[in-house]
Amino acid sequence: MTYQLALQQLTDSALPTGAFAHSLGFESYVDAGLVADEASFGAWLGAFISQSLTYSDGLAIRFLYEGWNVAELDSLLSASLLPRQVREASAKMGGRLLEIGGEIFPSAELALYRDLVGGGRAVGHQPLAFAVVARSLDVPLAEALAAYLFATVTSLTQNAVRAIPLGQNAGQRLLREAADGVAAAVERVKHLTPDDFGAVSPGLEIFQMRHERQRARMFMS
Amino acid sequence: MLRPHYLDGSGQVCYVVVNPGGAYLGADLFLLDVEVRAGADLLLTTQSATKVYRTPGSFAEQRMAVRLGEGARLELMPDQLIAYREASYRQHSAFTVRPSSALVMAEVVTPGWSPDGAAFGYEEVRLRNEVRVLADDGGLELLLLDNLLIQPPARDVTGLGFMEGFSHLGSLVVVDARVDQALADELHLRTAGFDALAGVSLTRTVAGTTGLVLRALSDSTGELNRLLAACTNLLRARWHGQEPLNLRKH
Repeated sequence: MTYQLALQQLTDSALPTGAFAHSLGFESYVDAGLVADEASFGAWLGAFISQSLTYSDGLAIRFLYEGWNVAELDSLLSASLLPRQVREASAKMGGRLLEIGGEIFPSAELALYRDLVGGGRAVGHQPLAFAVVARSLDVPLAEALAAYLFATVTSLTQNAVRAIPLGQNAGQRLLREAADGVAAAVERVKHLTPDDFGAVSPGLEIFQMRHERQRARMFMS
Repeated sequence: MLRPHYLDGSGQVCYVVVNPGGAYLGADLFLLDVEVRAGADLLLTTQSATKVYRTPGSFAEQRMAVRLGEGARLELMPDQLIAYREASYRQHSAFTVRPSSALVMAEVVTPGWSPDGAAFGYEEVRLRNEVRVLADDGGLELLLLDNLLIQPPARDVTGLGFMEGFSHLGSLVVVDARVDQALADELHLRTAGFDALAGVSLTRTVAGTTGLVLRALSDSTGELNRLLAACTNLLRARWHGQEPLNLRKH
């Protein structure tokens, strides 16, 4: 259990990766009037967990744990994150995580990934930066996946509470419900294949793309 | 494959792929290997819609490998995909381009067809496009991975976060050294005139070339074809001095 507190620190929403600045597309749904309350944000969050967090982030973490080359996975993520802002958000938050990780949980694997990024041979994506650190701390895959997915869900929900806005209790109800979605995603990720990588639904992608041209916005993605 | 022909005086040769038997059935595997040599210009289309019938216990599959040489151009404009009830279909297209190549491809996926009129009666549709850039120094790098997976029995695909209440999906991929943010913004503006929900974004840049992906949701094949044609015709006129594409096959 030596990794427990480390994992809590890594997934705490106070970890300064800049997650407060990203809606990862939900702000476009808010702008279109499609996400306006607890129920509609919950529907979006459920779709985001079962699509983006499963087929992209979750699968990338699993493949890294299974020994895939980190540079190859980094390239796959850069190629499959089609909406530019989402790709840039992953690199931005990943870069911060690599930096913080280097100071608090240094390891040879992390140094290797940081060198690849420093040399321009990788971008430094958030799920991979997390997975490299979690794996170096001997966090089991299922726990690492659940912790990463739920941390992302928590940041997004906090952002929705501020932006929509929703009540604080509504935020907590949403998180409780999202926990079931996260558990299902962790299970689902186990059974996916390399052919499934990056298969995010067209609707989520379109709204993530439309965010680039949205006039009034609080978030960078 | 039908006899090659020329639709205009630009030098672009047009080949039409004919599906043998008119449709795909279970365990059918079609392999297409396309090479567009340096400086050559190819328009590749299909004779009619790609129809996939019931594929019990198996899936129909099309695998295409495409290589574009230095300065080569491919315009890939297949008819729409129709997956019938209980059909599974996988399409895998792997493109290798040079930084100086020009690639445009447009696709439409329909909600399929069932005797009772219900949409999304098929089992699974997978469309996977991979584009790799062969740099001048011999390095091969993945530029874009466009992976679409629709499994109607696994989850409700019609609503928020998936098809957003629409039935048809259109997709446009452009890879060209001339692709930039201004072009992406211009194409996005073009989509506003159509009854569709669309988004456009740039891929990363590899060895000096960049990709652009446009996705659009709508309720009809015709509307998506018009939207995609507005975009591809803009590129034909601007980059190649060509008239709008007219295949005259329907």
